[in-house]
Amino acid sequence: MSKKYVGKDVLKVDAQDKVTGEAQYPSDLKFEDYLHVKIKRATYPHAILRDLDVSKAKQVEGVVDILTEKDYPDLNKFGLIIKDQPVLIKVGEKMRFMGDALAIIIAETEEAALKARDKIEVEVEKLEVMSNPQRALEKDAPTIHNDIGDLCTNYIDPDVGKQNILMDHHLEKGDVDKGFEEADFIVENEYQTQHIDQLPIQNEAGYALYDESNDVIKIWAASQWLHDTQADVAQAMNLPKEKVRIIQTAIGGAFGKKEDVSVHLHLALAARHTKRPVKLVYTREESMISQSKRHPLTIKAKTGVTNDGYLTAWEVKVIGDAGAYASSSPAVVHKGMYHCTGPYNVQNVRGDSYAVYTNNTYGGAMRGFGTTQMAFAYESQIDIIAHKLDMDPAQFRYQNAYDIGSTTPNGQKLGKSVNLKRTIESATDLAQWEGEISE
Amino acid sequence: MKKQGRGMASIMFGFGYGEGFPDHSIAEVEITKDKRIKVRTAGADLGQGFLTTMTQIAAEVLKIDPSYIEIVGQDTHKAKNSGSTSATRQTFFSGNAVREAAEEVMGKIYHYGSLYFNSNHPELTVKDGELYACDECEKITYWELAEIVEQRGKELKAEATFFPKTYAPDRKTGQGEKIYVAYTFMTQVMDIEVDTDTGLIEVMNVYTALDVGRAINPQNVHGQIEGGTVQGLGMAMMEDQVIEEGITINADMTNYLVPSIQDIPNFESTLIENNDSGGPFGSKGVGEPTIIGASPALSNAVYDAIGVRIKSLPITPEKILNALEEKK
Amino acid sequence: MKISLTVNGEKRALDVKPETRLLDLIRDDLGLTGTKEGCGKGECGACTVIMNNKVVASCLVLAAQADGAEIKTIEGLGGKDKLHPLQQAFIEKGAVQCGFCIPGMIMSSKKLLDENINPSEEDIKRGLSGNICRCTGYVKIVDAVKEAAHKIKSGGEENV
Ligand code: FES
Ligand code: FES
Repeated sequence: MSKKYVGKDVLKVDAQDKVTGEAQYPSDLKFEDYLHVKIKRATYPHAILRDLDVSKAKQVEGVVDILTEKDYPDLNKFGLIIKDQPVLIKVGEKMRFMGDALAIIIAETEEAALKARDKIEVEVEKLEVMSNPQRALEKDAPTIHNDIGDLCTNYIDPDVGKQNILMDHHLEKGDVDKGFEEADFIVENEYQTQHIDQLPIQNEAGYALYDESNDVIKIWAASQWLHDTQADVAQAMNLPKEKVRIIQTAIGGAFGKKEDVSVHLHLALAARHTKRPVKLVYTREESMISQSKRHPLTIKAKTGVTNDGYLTAWEVKVIGDAGAYASSSPAVVHKGMYHCTGPYNVQNVRGDSYAVYTNNTYGGAMRGFGTTQMAFAYESQIDIIAHKLDMDPAQFRYQNAYDIGSTTPNGQKLGKSVNLKRTIESATDLAQWEGEISE
Repeated sequence: MKKQGRGMASIMFGFGYGEGFPDHSIAEVEITKDKRIKVRTAGADLGQGFLTTMTQIAAEVLKIDPSYIEIVGQDTHKAKNSGSTSATRQTFFSGNAVREAAEEVMGKIYHYGSLYFNSNHPELTVKDGELYACDECEKITYWELAEIVEQRGKELKAEATFFPKTYAPDRKTGQGEKIYVAYTFMTQVMDIEVDTDTGLIEVMNVYTALDVGRAINPQNVHGQIEGGTVQGLGMAMMEDQVIEEGITINADMTNYLVPSIQDIPNFESTLIENNDSGGPFGSKGVGEPTIIGASPALSNAVYDAIGVRIKSLPITPEKILNALEEKK
Repeated sequence: MKISLTVNGEKRALDVKPETRLLDLIRDDLGLTGTKEGCGKGECGACTVIMNNKVVASCLVLAAQADGAEIKTIEGLGGKDKLHPLQQAFIEKGAVQCGFCIPGMIMSSKKLLDENINPSEEDIKRGLSGNICRCTGYVKIVDAVKEAAHKIKSGGEENV
């Protein structure tokens, strides 16, 4: 099945613009007479906002206006899956992490905006900061979100508090207890992963412009899903979708970080308010503090094995640090769990996963979406077991590897395109791996 | 002392949103009189090559040089929803939507072409943007045909939606019939050297075999393997946003380190191409899978080199030295 | 304050504020947005330009310090009608993903090849060690620099 263009190294259609510097990333666009936007963010990771005084800041020369929740009391919360993130924190309500926005500063120059930002006065009533999900799971831990409702369906541990559990998921395939009984030995370990920033080299940035003639707010900013960002902005501002138009620019990297709303909402508000073009560019620091992270996962893995090197049971418990807002957490943490055995045949699987609110920067999407963290656990387990068995790790993988007809921890039967064994053969060939591999 | 080690990891990744989420992509293909083929998709190119992949797929189906293809519609008001560029889904989802839309257009080329030539479809040849009924006969170009079709008040244009079904897993057991549309598999072997005095790790070689179904653009697939693996090595060895009591203490690129060009290994990679998946031309997604193997392969290589097992990431020199100390 | 400098061969006289960075001058005052900002702290290399034959992070240089200087940015290297061999090689070798690091990467590469047209792999890595790329894993960037050196040596293009 030879093809003419598919399977060929056709040169990237956008590369020429990028090597000449002509490609327009969000911060490269040019608008006449635009205003600069900066965001005043939380001053404490978990606190009630008691007072927010922008009067002195407004007097800074060059400041056009400063917007707070008072100016827009009807905004709805936003978020990718669960709408739990406020656009601006209201006096009397809580800030939940250092990225929460308190005020939008709009000024003629960047210097004026920054100067005004420093003059905003914030008074808070500090609350206990929960940086560790283990603490957030204790019965006496303060509740981070009081208004989300009980999303936890099936928490089975009576010693633990449910108040900060954002979402739980579970796996039950086969008979795990029996599987462990059939095992000749059991390997049990706990693994821990870290907060990671996707760190695209272009920080979040964009422009917006309000078109009075048709009442449409145009936003030029990167998004991994234009129509989702559009819908999220529109619902937060109580606008019909058609009134929010998002125009993609060149995207300077994303890796999951540009799924959530970032500059879009604040730009939209500032543009409509001033009826002038507005620009907002995050600093690296702001980007790291305010936008999503790869979730730290705590993974307890327990694996049952026979002496001839087959897997009889696999059990995991996963706790994901969701941070202050839901973002992609309701999908990420359990996607990790759904991949808990790796690509290996195991008839009996049990798993529990919990995404837990804390006062850290929120976890969201990053390349691999929970499964990257889980692979560290399952492939460590596999290696540990191979050494215990004194078996070639390649052979051990091979004899347990998925094939057509295997079933995943979800019980999904794999019908086609399962070439794992060939990847083991090829990678070991390339590496001139010592030792033979056989069924 | 420098000690060498070798580690392996095999991984899988179920791609697409899955779990019964209504995951789909809408695309439109149009041949215009002004010698362009417009492929309309709202899908985002993050650098991996989405626009190029869509161009190749449309060019292949429509049998025309890719230079005629123009991707348009990177705007909520100019294209319908293509779903996100995430979940390793665009080649599979938007690729299939573009392929289907292009096939629809090809059907129209045959339909209107056969009217023009007064013949039936099997007698027509379509090649390099032209169609004809026999080698010596008159040829007309797509652009001429577009003009003729326009005179009939019609267009050489079609829209398609690719909308495969998945099922929500049972809430209590996670069991379900089809949770993800398909899975990508990869195995990597990694050679490293650990300096037992400093705890520093140097990654020497990475050998990769990636089950891609079919590579629409092999160079770009290798770009994903290299880029994904190096990003994965960042996770394995250095990256850590430290948040203490809610405060990030290293919110800059001096204290949050990512791999530099000095940190990269040699790569040797093979693509397993069985043309057996449900994506366009048998392809499947590769973006995310390429990052997944690095941290366990590295950790397993560390064990092979110095006999210590580090169970928390990143595997820093400090952790290596502490573990060596404990082992003594 | 008034300064004058040569940018991509063109003499420019500008009025700048004392705190204006060379990067702002290039991007905002001259509108040459090919030079990027990724960190503003000298950490990423996206803002790399050549100043008086030296590679600098333009976010760390004050515009005032560039008074009288000769500056070369990505726009001065080659346009679409006449790509520089480095630009050509970056395209051909698939070294461009999101592209945000690429102008800086190419300027560092240019300086490297100006000084050493036969760079070893180690030379290339040293020369580009201040330029962070998050997408490519650098492998194809190394390939592209090698390929550009080859192109330049075989004399396909002048104006290097
Ligand atoms: S922007 Fe100058 S080094 Fe990053
Ligand atoms: S190509 Fe994206 S940062 Fe280098």
